[in-house]
Amino acid sequence: MSAQIDARGVGVQFHFDRQRRVLSPTLARFRRGGPAPWALRGVDLLAGPGDGIALVGPTGSGKTTLLRLLGGILAADEGSLSVRGKVGTLLSPAAGLLGLLTGSENAELLGVLVGMSPQQARAAVAPIKQVSGLGDSFELPVSSYSEGMRARLGFAVAAQRDVDLLLLDEVHEALDHEFRAAVAERARAVRERGGIVIAAGHDHAVLETLCDRAVWLESGGVERDGEFHDVVDTYVKP
Amino acid sequence: MVRRAVHVLEALARSDIRMRYGRGRLTMVKWLLDPYAAAGVYLLLVAFVLDRPGHAAGLSLACAIVPFQLVLMTVLNSLTSVQSRRSIVVNMRFERALIPFSSAVAEAVGFVATLTLLAVMMVAYGVEPTPALLWLPVLVAATFAVAVAVAYPVALVGVWFPESRPIMLSLTRAAFFVAPGVVALDEIAGSTADWLKANPLTGLFEAYRSVFLDGTSPAAWELLLPCGFAVLTLALFVPLFRHEGPQLVKLVE
Repeated sequence: MSAQIDARGVGVQFHFDRQRRVLSPTLARFRRGGPAPWALRGVDLLAGPGDGIALVGPTGSGKTTLLRLLGGILAADEGSLSVRGKVGTLLSPAAGLLGLLTGSENAELLGVLVGMSPQQARAAVAPIKQVSGLGDSFELPVSSYSEGMRARLGFAVAAQRDVDLLLLDEVHEALDHEFRAAVAERARAVRERGGIVIAAGHDHAVLETLCDRAVWLESGGVERDGEFHDVVDTYVKP
Repeated sequence: MVRRAVHVLEALARSDIRMRYGRGRLTMVKWLLDPYAAAGVYLLLVAFVLDRPGHAAGLSLACAIVPFQLVLMTVLNSLTSVQSRRSIVVNMRFERALIPFSSAVAEAVGFVATLTLLAVMMVAYGVEPTPALLWLPVLVAATFAVAVAVAYPVALVGVWFPESRPIMLSLTRAAFFVAPGVVALDEIAGSTADWLKANPLTGLFEAYRSVFLDGTSPAAWELLLPCGFAVLTLALFVPLFRHEGPQLVKLVE
């Protein structure tokens, strides 16, 4: 395994029209007039095998946007980005779950989306049910789940596949202590195998269990990048 | 890569069917209710209100309603296809261009059930099956091609201009009437009939009538025009949708 992230000067811009509706870059060429703020701009991030990086910063600083870029869910509008390795994402407690589907049906769908064949995804449903600890609720629609139950299911699906780059966005904060330990264990295993873990959130105590490096994002840019305690202590200093 | 796309397509379509139509035996009833009800309403309109029943009016109507049902349901599905999958669009990495395709696939399952309407009408009007019925797979393929083709621009409109969804539905319904949906093309006088051929639905409706009503092979234009429309639309909008794919998060978040 040789996970690698090389982001140089990456930026993500949002376009709005005069009625403040979001536009895609294609539409923005024809319907200019509104604001066009940058959610991220000039962000550099280099990471290699074994790195555990915490993204800290206030709400709206660009943490989720950066994770989506790294996960290939969103494209950068400027700069260059290279990500090497299989990516696993848990970018919200909802974790890609569709509310009208049961836990079992979601597990099957997400299994295929993370790279399994339909047969493998079907075979993985039973282990996912066991890992998630959802019991009978597993056959109920996800819309009836609490945030913590959704996060458990999302994590259980993600745990079925070996990844080189694990991206977590405040997911662990929705989990109970038992499952936080499972997430920490998973993150540790990924890093030990030469993978990279990047976790964003506001619970610095939890982030500390996953990462030894921190990147402080402020208004879409990197304010500071370094050893976890140095960066977090500076960030929280009044 | 193709295999992976097929897997994702199947998973998206399967989940879409469960979300839109639920589970169990009642699903089939939901699929059949709409086309059968539409056939009944239009039959009343043609036979009693317009007083233009023509030859085997119910079967002629079914020949338009059945293919139109797939196009209409695909439009309805595609308009919200990205939004209804918001949770996976903002969290998971997969080929976004498969979303509109999966909408058409999901609705095609119901479309197969609506084909029974044609059989029912053939029995009701005493129309004997002919070897021309061997054209059915070609008709189904052409109908599906048109449905997939419209799914892409419609899905884009659904995310670009979500407020225009009701207008898009009205336009689609209007397309049924700007084609020989209620009355066959040979019952339309003058140059209007020629103009109606520009509507890709016209060829589809008339091809179904050729096969099921007249027992003949469809004329070349009846299949070439809809298929040509499908190829051109896909050539234009699939690359555009793929280009927009990585930006969809911004629009649905």
